[in-house]
Amino acid sequence: MKEIAQCFETVNKAIADYLGSNGYTDALEAFKKEADMTGEMDRKFGGLLEKKWTSVIRLQKKVMELESKLSEAQKEFIEGAPTRAKRTPTEWIPRPPEKFSLTGHRATITKVIFHPVFSLLVSSSEDATIKVWDFENGDFERTLKGHTDSVQDIAFDHSGKLLVSCSADMSIKLWDFNQTFECVKTMHGHDHNVSSVSFSPSGDIVYSASRDKTIKAWEVATGYCVKTYKGHREWVRMVRVSADGGLLASCSNDQTVRIWNADTNECKMELREHEHVVECVSWAPESAAAAVNEAAGGDNRRANHVGPFLASGSRDKSVKIWDVSTGVCLATLVGHDNWVRGAVWHPGGRYLLTASDDKTLRVWDVAHTRCLKTLYAHQHFATSLDFHKNLPYVISGSVDQTVKVWECR
Amino acid sequence: MNPCSIATPQQDTEGDGRWNSIHNRFLSDAKGKDADVIFLGDSILQALEHTEVWNQWFAPLHCLNFSIHRDQTQNVLWRIRNGELDHVDPKVIVLHVGTNNVEYTAEHICEGILEIIHTIQEKHPNVYIVIPSLLPRGQHPNLLREKNSKINQLLKEKVVHMKKVDMVFIDKGFIQSDGTISHHDMHDYLIPTNAACRKAFEPVHDLLHQILSEGEPEKDLTPSE
Repeated sequence: MKEIAQCFETVNKAIADYLGSNGYTDALEAFKKEADMTGEMDRKFGGLLEKKWTSVIRLQKKVMELESKLSEAQKEFIEGAPTRAKRTPTEWIPRPPEKFSLTGHRATITKVIFHPVFSLLVSSSEDATIKVWDFENGDFERTLKGHTDSVQDIAFDHSGKLLVSCSADMSIKLWDFNQTFECVKTMHGHDHNVSSVSFSPSGDIVYSASRDKTIKAWEVATGYCVKTYKGHREWVRMVRVSADGGLLASCSNDQTVRIWNADTNECKMELREHEHVVECVSWAPESAAAAVNEAAGGDNRRANHVGPFLASGSRDKSVKIWDVSTGVCLATLVGHDNWVRGAVWHPGGRYLLTASDDKTLRVWDVAHTRCLKTLYAHQHFATSLDFHKNLPYVISGSVDQTVKVWECR
Repeated sequence: MNPCSIATPQQDTEGDGRWNSIHNRFLSDAKGKDADVIFLGDSILQALEHTEVWNQWFAPLHCLNFSIHRDQTQNVLWRIRNGELDHVDPKVIVLHVGTNNVEYTAEHICEGILEIIHTIQEKHPNVYIVIPSLLPRGQHPNLLREKNSKINQLLKEKVVHMKKVDMVFIDKGFIQSDGTISHHDMHDYLIPTNAACRKAFEPVHDLLHQILSEGEPEKDLTPSE
C-alpha cells in the first residue's frame, strides 16, 4: 500500500509542476490545497508530466520495432535460409550480416554500382572522389580523382570499359576502365548540379539529368550535347534508359515521373501519383512481368499488362510500380519509415529491393506487394544499392560513409 | 540603436578567418541539400551536432545545422541576411541564440532574437519556428544566469501570440538544490553534455516530430498480441 501512496504523491507533484510551470497559478493553489501538498517542489518533477505523456507513445513504437525484428529472427530461425549449396539465382536475396563493410570515403556515399564483367564495385561520394573495390575479397583497388565537388551518380557502359560520372561541379566525366583508369573526357553544358547519368544500351550516348530542370543526351565519341529534353518543372533527380534504348524514365522534385522518347526528345507521359519528391526510378527486367501482373490482378485473377514496367521511389516513403505503356500505377509498396532513395530489381524479376533514409534495405515480394525482408543495414541514411546481374551479391552505400557488401542466399 | 539587432559579422579576433569559412560552407550546404529542419544559432546548438542524441533523434529528420560557436544575435542576423536561408525550403527552423551576448541587457538581447524571428518570417512565411529557451550557465548563481532567465521570460511574453512560433522550455533540471550546476550536466558550465542534451532536447525532438508528421495518417501504435 505504501508504494501506491507514493505513486499518487508523484502524480500529484507532477501535476502541480505542470500547472506551475505553465502559469496556471489559481488552479495550482486550489490543487495544492485539495491535494494537501505543502512545501517546495523538488526539481526532479520538472516537466515530468509532459515526459510521461510522450514516453508511452515512444515506448509503444519501440516495442513494435522490436516485435517485428523478433518475428523476422524467429522466421529465419524456424524456416531457415537456404544453404549456399541450395540457393537458386531466381530466389536468392541478401541476408545479414554483411560480408564486408568498406571504409575509406570521407563523406556520404552517393551511389554504388557493380562492374558488369569483373568482380569490382564502384562507389561515388560527396568527398568528390570515386573509389573502386573488389567485392569478392573486400580489397580497396584505387581512387579516381578529378571532380571538384560532390560526385552524384556513376554508370558503366555494357562492356564495362567506360565509366561515366556526374557531379555538383556541373560536369560529366568519362573514365577509361580498360587500362588507364584516367579521365578521358569532360563534358560541360548543364547550368547546375548534375544529379544523374546513364549509358544507352549501345554505349554511344550518355544521358544526364540536372538541377537545371533538363535532361541532356551526349555523344560519347565526340563529347557533344546532341539533345535536350525539357518539361520537368524542377530539379531532375534521376534518368534511366529502358532495355531497348527507346525510352527514358526520369523523376523530379516536381513530384512526377516522366517517360520520354529517347530519339525525338518528346515527353510521352507524365506519371503523377507520388506526393513528394521522386528520388529514383528503375526499369523492370522482362522476367518481372509475371510477378507485376499478379500484383495488379487481385482476387486470384492475373492482370494482362504488357509493360514495360517501371518502379519509382519517393520521399513520400512509398514505392510505386507503373505500366509505362498505359501510364497506370499497378502497385504501391508501403513500409519504409523515411524517404526512399534507391530501387533495384532482382534479376529474377520476383523481387524489388529498395534503400531508404530509415537506414534499411527492404526486399519486396512484388506479386504479393509485401515486404519480404528488412535489413537493418546502416548507421545512417541508406542512399543507394545495386544487385549483381548473375552473382549472389548486393551492395549498399550510406551517409555513414560505408559501402557494404551483402551475400545472397 | 540596439547593437543586438544590427546585423554584424563575428569579429575575427584570432585571425584565421574561420567564421567566414564556416559561413561559406553553410551557403554551399544550403544549395545542395533539401533539409526539412534547420538548426540556427550558437555554441549550444553547434555542440548538439556532435552528440549521440543528434545522430539518433535529429539526423533522421533531414536536418542542417547552421550554428557557430560563440555567435551572438547580431552575428546570426548577419548570416541569415547574407544568404544562409536563401536556397532552402525548410519546414521548421530551430533557433537558439543570445547566451553569448554577455555585455548587453536582457531587453536588447530579446529584441535581437525577435529581429531574427522577423527576418526568418520574411524569407519563409510558412516556416515553423521552434525556440528552445536559453539554458542557465556558470557553476554558481551569477548575473548571466539571471539574465538568461529574464530573456526567457521576456521572449515568452512576446512570442506567445505569434503564429507558428513555439518556445520550448529546456532549462529546467540543471540547477541543483544547492544552486550549483553539475559538470555532469555541463562540462564547462555552459555547454550541456551528451546525457544532458538527451534530457534537455527531448521535448524539442517531440515537437519537431509532431510538426513534421502533421497530416500523415496516424500509425496504429497498439502493440500486437
